[in-house]
Amino acid sequence: MSKQLDVRGEICPYPMMRTVQALKKMGKNENQLVVITDHAPALDTIPTQAIRLGFDVKIEEVKSSEWQVILTRK
Amino acid sequence: MQAQSGITDSPSKRFWEIVATNIGDPNIYKGAFAVMVAVAVYIFANNNEIRMGTYWLLGLGAGFVLQRTRLCFASGFRDIFLLGHGRNLKGILVGLMVATIGFSFLMARQVPNTALGTYPATAHTMPLGWHTVFGATLFGFGMVLAGGCVTGSIYRMGEGYIGSWVSFAGILLGLFVASFTWNWWYEFTIKDSPRVWLPHTFGHGGALFLTLAALVILYFLVIWWETRRGGIAPAQPAQLLPDTTFSNKVQNIFRQVFVNGWHVLLGGGIFGVVNILTFVSTRPLGVTGELSRWSLSLGNALGLTPGELLGTSSMAGCVLDTGDGTFLTFLLFLVVGIFYGSFIGALFAGEFKIRIPKQKSRLVQSGIGGILMGYGAGTAVGCTIGAFFSSIPSLSFTGWAWAFFALIGAWLGTQVIQRLP
Repeated sequence: MSKQLDVRGEICPYPMMRTVQALKKMGKNENQLVVITDHAPALDTIPTQAIRLGFDVKIEEVKSSEWQVILTRK
Repeated sequence: MQAQSGITDSPSKRFWEIVATNIGDPNIYKGAFAVMVAVAVYIFANNNEIRMGTYWLLGLGAGFVLQRTRLCFASGFRDIFLLGHGRNLKGILVGLMVATIGFSFLMARQVPNTALGTYPATAHTMPLGWHTVFGATLFGFGMVLAGGCVTGSIYRMGEGYIGSWVSFAGILLGLFVASFTWNWWYEFTIKDSPRVWLPHTFGHGGALFLTLAALVILYFLVIWWETRRGGIAPAQPAQLLPDTTFSNKVQNIFRQVFVNGWHVLLGGGIFGVVNILTFVSTRPLGVTGELSRWSLSLGNALGLTPGELLGTSSMAGCVLDTGDGTFLTFLLFLVVGIFYGSFIGALFAGEFKIRIPKQKSRLVQSGIGGILMGYGAGTAVGCTIGAFFSSIPSLSFTGWAWAFFALIGAWLGTQVIQRLP
């Protein structure tokens, strides 16, 4: 199951903090979180925390200055 | 074989197709138009005074590099605690190393004999006292609350972050308030505070060596700390076209320069070079002195003036400036240049976008953070640029003290923002 988290409009450190909160709340049957952000620095901070929490990271550019960070439980 | 697919490109025929492909991207039009405006401003500034033109170019360069590398001082001070991640701090340290080497040569020419006890006239050697402790701590705290330092807010304004515009207004207000308490701080501590310039004790070579050694040790400490906190994610791979045809190669170069973020260590290094060039022209980088001039001139127009600010005329660096009624100064071109350079970078990258936080309380947070930063910078004589990024390379001990207390403030800030909604 996949969940979505929209943090567009938020700047550092909130995209990362929101993602960590969401990852920690994820139930056993959920294994994917898709974070949508328009804040480029979050493309460094979110992966660092997600990897430490045991997730794989994939980043896709949705359009100019908007990205999907796809976090999948290892 | 890969080389063969390149041969199918007939360069002359393909050239115009490649141009067409690239010009089809509307971001190039927007960016090119913004560059033409920048050139027009340069001609105007240069006709006014050569130094204004020079500072306009330096400001543009600084803003563009900051936008491309996303170098962020607030993150540098904050994320070492919050995230155990030193991406920005490492970039800043490299920038400091580069600037330190350049500055020390320039200062050795200004003060050939350190035994005389004189100071390099334009370097950022500020008095060190309780005002540094208080102002830097407040600055570090405000910067984390606002999510960006003074320069960070200026270049984010150019990317369309509304929160940064609110921070900026807060900074001007904070500087204005600081001017009314300046004389109290001056009598209390600033007038008796020493300007600790390391070459007086260690000579030029010794001070340069000690500063570089400290920066290198800090760099390794940051890596050690990152490893201890669980390592950091490798930089995301750049999104590029397959490197097979000439057209793709051209487009990839364009993407590497104008769209993808640059490596932060490269960015820090270039920012250090910009600082050296600024010093070569007149004086090192600094923004809060100029911002205080805007803020105090605005107050003056409204009939609110702090009166004479004691000791400011003889002080170096980003000291509060009441202004003399002139509108255009070379520093104005520097500050506006940082904003505009970032705007150009954001246009080319397609990253310019008006961004309003969904949660309106964030705007209040940005404003309060800005006011605290403004007051802190007005009192401690400078921000992350003037009192830190230009002060440590000036071989001034005050820059180190400023950094230490700003770090404490940033730590306090991280404790607060983690408890905010």
